[in-house]
Amino acid sequence: MLPSFRGGWPAAGIGLLLLFPLSSPDAFFLDVFTTGFLLAAFAASWDVVGGIAGQVTLGHALPFGAAAYACALLTSLAGWPLPLAVAAAILLAAAVGAGVGTLSAPLSGPFVALLTLALGEIAHEAAAGNTFFSGPGGYAWGGEGGIPVALPWQDAPPFASYYVALCFLCLASFAMLRFSRSGAGLILRAVAGSPITAQASGVPIARFKRLAFTVGSAFAGATGAGFAIHVGRATATDLSLELSFQAATFAAVGGRGTIVGPVVAALVLHVLFQGLSLPPAARVLLYALTLMVTLRFFPGGVVGTVREAAWRVRWKNGTGSFRRRGRGRPGEGGS
Amino acid sequence: MSPLSQVLLDGIFAGGTYALMAAGMALILGVVKVINLSHGAFFTLGAYVAYALAERGIAHPGAAALLSAAIAFAFGVFLGKSFVNPIRSHPFALPVGTLACALLFEQAAQMVWGPHPLSIETGAPWVGPGGLLIRRWGAIAFLSSAALLAGLKGLLATRPGLPLRLIAEDEEIAGSLGMDVEAIRYLTFGGACAMAAAAGALLSPSGAVTPTMGRAPLILSLVVVIVAGMDSIGAIFLLSIGLGILGNACAYLLSPQWSYVALLAAVSLLLAARPAGIVVLAGRSD
Repeated sequence: MLPSFRGGWPAAGIGLLLLFPLSSPDAFFLDVFTTGFLLAAFAASWDVVGGIAGQVTLGHALPFGAAAYACALLTSLAGWPLPLAVAAAILLAAAVGAGVGTLSAPLSGPFVALLTLALGEIAHEAAAGNTFFSGPGGYAWGGEGGIPVALPWQDAPPFASYYVALCFLCLASFAMLRFSRSGAGLILRAVAGSPITAQASGVPIARFKRLAFTVGSAFAGATGAGFAIHVGRATATDLSLELSFQAATFAAVGGRGTIVGPVVAALVLHVLFQGLSLPPAARVLLYALTLMVTLRFFPGGVVGTVREAAWRVRWKNGTGSFRRRGRGRPGEGGS
Repeated sequence: MSPLSQVLLDGIFAGGTYALMAAGMALILGVVKVINLSHGAFFTLGAYVAYALAERGIAHPGAAALLSAAIAFAFGVFLGKSFVNPIRSHPFALPVGTLACALLFEQAAQMVWGPHPLSIETGAPWVGPGGLLIRRWGAIAFLSSAALLAGLKGLLATRPGLPLRLIAEDEEIAGSLGMDVEAIRYLTFGGACAMAAAAGALLSPSGAVTPTMGRAPLILSLVVVIVAGMDSIGAIFLLSIGLGILGNACAYLLSPQWSYVALLAAVSLLLAARPAGIVVLAGRSD
């Protein structure tokens, strides 16, 4: 959306990220980046629901964690081959998303946030409080310790995980970007802008809200399965409110509705905060602070405010007056 | 002693105190017209203040409630004036921003006091008829919140409470009458946060004090305001007692975490069955 993203900057960024492992960095940093790529894809999938369709979800960890648990249970308990388990996990996440979307479609404004928060917390409590399976060897599974994923390989080299995660991030973001610019994406933006106007134009808004939840959740599920494979187990934190909140933070800081913005914000913030090797509590605290400052000074969204400022500068210089007429009023569509 | 009547009594005591918090939530909804997801954090704040006081040998519900209410009022005014008021017309910023505030406090509490559950020693309970244990804090908490709620009801019914009712009804008319709507908003926000913190301080000995303990009361308050609305303090009080009994029964029959799950299920079902949600917010054009 932003003109600067249209140029070659993403390509340069990908090039740098491809080059990075060759500089023989610490395995710790490779791992930080790998997790960062997955979080970035997760933030982009939040943006499909919360940014493009404007359905502010605070339970986006639900499809993420559901897919992670499905992947873990299907591989280690049912003994499915990994690709099949991942496919099933993504389908499950999409179904979960469709269900949440159906329930939340009649709701508006803060109630979508409330319902998704409640559903996510139910899943988290169920996963955290119950040791529901005893796996082979008599160990208690589930609960805080989570469930292991049976992998066909042992100890994947860190740079391999890095490249696979980067590749996944690029493909997933590209697909989500395409979706956001497709006809359905445009309709979703209309629904986000004004549901009443969209409905008056004959858009079946409930169906499109459900579509946004389904697509966003499917991508979140793919990320969740990837995360479970990377970490080697599915734990209750995969379903936590903190995780959903992190996705919303990345989207708000990077600019909602842009897909690329949340990806960049997730990478930068995660690498920054994780690279400082702070305790987890301090990290969530910093995320919350970052978000509150962002919301306080850009309550209508970073992109809208920045774009408005850019228009104002151009208009003042007298260069933007012609182009401005053709592009609508400044600040439109940002929030 | 029959365990059932014990559960019932403790549920009534807890529910009556939750009503104080739920009434604060209703005030914020009515006057500031905001769903405050950080309300539970102030409950937690009150509980930690009570714990810190008890550690220093001052295990008194009144002192804990007063001190935590003062602290929460200060933070609440700051939050209301500098954060909630400027962003309140933005449908995205509000739920996410108030949740950020709640998580900020949860993590700060975890860094200061640690993630482990703490408990407050309150001395031996009174033994009532039939071996029923009457916990002193519980009784004091119930009676003082009932008194505070009666006071709030009286305030809203008389002249000093008029600005609150008028702003809840129509803020433009209130503004044109020369009322400082913004100031009344953040003062109400602070006062409501103080109510939540007082409830947290009063209820702190009845369970474990943990950083995330405020989440269940938050959901309970949401259920109460969705069902009972914001106008009737009496309905809020009765419904809170009902939910307090339900929560205690779930905790007794299953395990403490199930009372949280039951409340979450209740709010999900309510929203699914009643999509308009809370009447005052549904009327707004977002």
